[in-house]
Amino acid sequence: MSEPATTTVDPYLDKMLSHTSAADPATGDVTIENYTINFGPQHPAAHGVLRLVMELDGELIERIDPHVGLLHRGTEKLIEAKTYIQALPYFDRLDYCSPMCMEHSWVLAVEKLLDLEVPIRAQYLRVFCAELTRIMNHLLNLGSHVMDVGAMTPNLWLFELREDTFNFYERISGARMHANYFRPGGVHQDVPLKLLTDIADWLDTRVPRLFEDAISLVADNRIFKQRNVDIATVSRDDAIAWGFSGPMIRAAGIPWDIRKSQPYDVYDRMDFDVPVGTRGDCYDRFMVRVEEVRQSVRIMKQCLRDMPEGPIASLDRKVVPPKRAEMKQSMEALIHHFKLYTEGFHVPEGEVYVATESPKGEFGVYLVADGTNKPYRCKIRPTAFSHLQAMDFMSRGHMLADTTAILGAMDIVFGECDR
Amino acid sequence: MRAPAPAWAADLNDETMELARATLGDALDDVFARVGEVQLWVKRDQVAEALRLLRDTPGLEYQQLMEIAGVDYPERPERFEVVYCLLSLTRNHRVHVHLTTDDEQPVPSVTDLWPVAGWLEREVFDLFGVVFVGNRDLRRILTDYGFSGHPLRKDFPMTGYVEMRYSEEDKRVVYQPVSLQQDFRNFDFMSPWEGGAYVLPGDEKGGALPQAKGAYTPATADQVQKAGATATPTAAPAGDSGSYAKGTNPPGGPDSGNRPSDPDVIPSKGQGQNQ
Amino acid sequence: MHSGPVELKPRPDQGQALVQPDQGFFDSLNGELTDKGFLVTSTEDLFQWARTGSLWWMTFGLACCAVEMIHVNMPRYDLERFGAAPRASPRQSDVMIVAGTLCNKMAPALRKVYDQMSEPKYVISMGSCANGGGYYHYSYSVVRGCDRVVPVDIYVPGCPPTAEALLYGIMQLQRKIRRSGSIER
Repeated sequence: MSEPATTTVDPYLDKMLSHTSAADPATGDVTIENYTINFGPQHPAAHGVLRLVMELDGELIERIDPHVGLLHRGTEKLIEAKTYIQALPYFDRLDYCSPMCMEHSWVLAVEKLLDLEVPIRAQYLRVFCAELTRIMNHLLNLGSHVMDVGAMTPNLWLFELREDTFNFYERISGARMHANYFRPGGVHQDVPLKLLTDIADWLDTRVPRLFEDAISLVADNRIFKQRNVDIATVSRDDAIAWGFSGPMIRAAGIPWDIRKSQPYDVYDRMDFDVPVGTRGDCYDRFMVRVEEVRQSVRIMKQCLRDMPEGPIASLDRKVVPPKRAEMKQSMEALIHHFKLYTEGFHVPEGEVYVATESPKGEFGVYLVADGTNKPYRCKIRPTAFSHLQAMDFMSRGHMLADTTAILGAMDIVFGECDR
Repeated sequence: MRAPAPAWAADLNDETMELARATLGDALDDVFARVGEVQLWVKRDQVAEALRLLRDTPGLEYQQLMEIAGVDYPERPERFEVVYCLLSLTRNHRVHVHLTTDDEQPVPSVTDLWPVAGWLEREVFDLFGVVFVGNRDLRRILTDYGFSGHPLRKDFPMTGYVEMRYSEEDKRVVYQPVSLQQDFRNFDFMSPWEGGAYVLPGDEKGGALPQAKGAYTPATADQVQKAGATATPTAAPAGDSGSYAKGTNPPGGPDSGNRPSDPDVIPSKGQGQNQ
Repeated sequence: MHSGPVELKPRPDQGQALVQPDQGFFDSLNGELTDKGFLVTSTEDLFQWARTGSLWWMTFGLACCAVEMIHVNMPRYDLERFGAAPRASPRQSDVMIVAGTLCNKMAPALRKVYDQMSEPKYVISMGSCANGGGYYHYSYSVVRGCDRVVPVDIYVPGCPPTAEALLYGIMQLQRKIRRSGSIER
């Protein structure tokens, strides 16, 4: 910690802080000692399994010690024992609110080590699915954020929309959540044309109506603003020093988006804007995510417009298994299929750090390959780790009830935080 | 690089290495670029100073510490490698800073440079047992309260030593030695027909490069990538991306024969399920 | 499936999934109620009816399955029409849905929450991680099945189970209570 953030932005809080000081004992005849309360690990506003040990001065937060690891599943250790394809579904289960964006970092890291080219249609499909996932993630986060500060209706409406994204997931990959759709070399299977037109209809009709309706309930709402504006402001310097990324760093006023500055797949062909906050408070974080949903819709529409025909995965049969029909006619395809689903492919020795813009921020994979069919070490860089660590300084001097707003605006998911 | 990985300013690698050599001086053991990523190997006891220089020197400007990764190589004399992944927002460039240590030699903490390092170092301490001196809160972070051992060390078994169960006698959850119904099946795919780290007579030209991507190779990813960069673009399965772009191909054009008709995908004719 | 709240007599065809409403039965009940102003039934039937009709569940979202557990409560599946409403407090809830991977660090908390619930209490284990460790079975930090920590009534398979599967699991639990319920469980 460089400096304790004891001064709050709320004049009322400042007044209260000065009243409780020892210099002015006239206000009350009882001296309130600091006390410690335990929040979680089972708490409906904790967004999973978070335990916060909070030191309170009355209703004001003095210190927060987040305890994480309650969902530590040992993913990194398990990945070391699996082949590269078998390790892929672990990534779905890391940030289970945005599964395909997690896969994205992994397949890009493997492809970078393999130096593998990916067909252009596969790249479009990946970008398309990643943006669908971004919408999916933000729908959950925006809804639960407004529910944490007291509004119920937007959450119900946003979840209706989210159910649509689950349906699309199911039609794209066969699974409602854990898609396991991206593969090193491309994607697993092609999407039918009817699905693409359905998604286009959905983007044109349902998303604008339901989403904008739900947001219009809260975006200008006085109560919502009172709960969020000027809560947990983070300056640019703090955002950089605490390793923020994604909507958290953009809300602090830094226009940093990996999709824009370090484009992967076909993001360099996409035309979209990067929303930036001005005050760096919870309301800015909320609104940055709202705008990102609209930008994701734009990107998806461009994908639909520009997506070419072609193969959906590399035709390199040492990496991408052949389709079943081919396998039943060709002996070589059968051998490849068998080898790839038992032994897997070999990745040449090397170390890479590949980070993509997941909906929550920079999601990175530091992958050490040793030339065998299994990763030697796979370090996952979770977005939530740095954000949650900043919880302490962000919530100092705020009221206890603001914790839920701060936590909701942070967008923490513990599958990814604890791994 | 052919892979569609994030394209940061990798063309700054050379000047970064030059400047890092000049700036860090003898704190730097080695510096090279592999697979397009700059690795700086620094001396362990000077890492805090080296990272401060990397952050504050104009022209390097790595403002953000994104990640601290530990890697365990039990066969090395100093078995642990600690990797700091740095990001420069202004130069749009990434480097890794590597150092080696073992379970006794402490590593200077960088929490004074980046407060975010606090938890990252706690995690490396928790999972590997690397000690960071100067970190004022070096507790375990991910594993259970009272966990013993460092699970990501290579000699720590994947299933651990203990498992948890509720004890009706004690009326609380207790740890007991692990007993699996079925062991984890780990297959060894090493084939006698491949994997020889030698060059066959007559095959010198091909060197040790793999015959295809994904096949076994003794070559490193860096060699593969360099070979891929110098080789003329072969008839890659993706075709030249130019002709694909924007989907301007007329139906039945030169590319249409290229696409395998996929019997697994049947475009549905009926109503969408979603409406 | 018809699961009307008035179900005071054990039916001969109990156990079948689909039961047609018996109009004569309802008419006689209605007549009795308007005539005398009260109904006579066994307490056992009354308790079963009360238990199955208001299965308030404890939100114990641990991991991925929690998302599907939220989805089953949302407008599309609307679990509340079966009387199952989410409660945040263990003291007020009847059933705990263990949704997600149970890790060693979390197991004491899970057991504590279970102990705090009032009798009769039921547990639904949702997803393969809670059923038996699933994809994380061999991990050093995962409890290989939440039935090592709490007694489980219904297992819902899947990774994650779809919202429909969980809905079906809850209906199976209602059926189980109806079939085997008694005052002391």
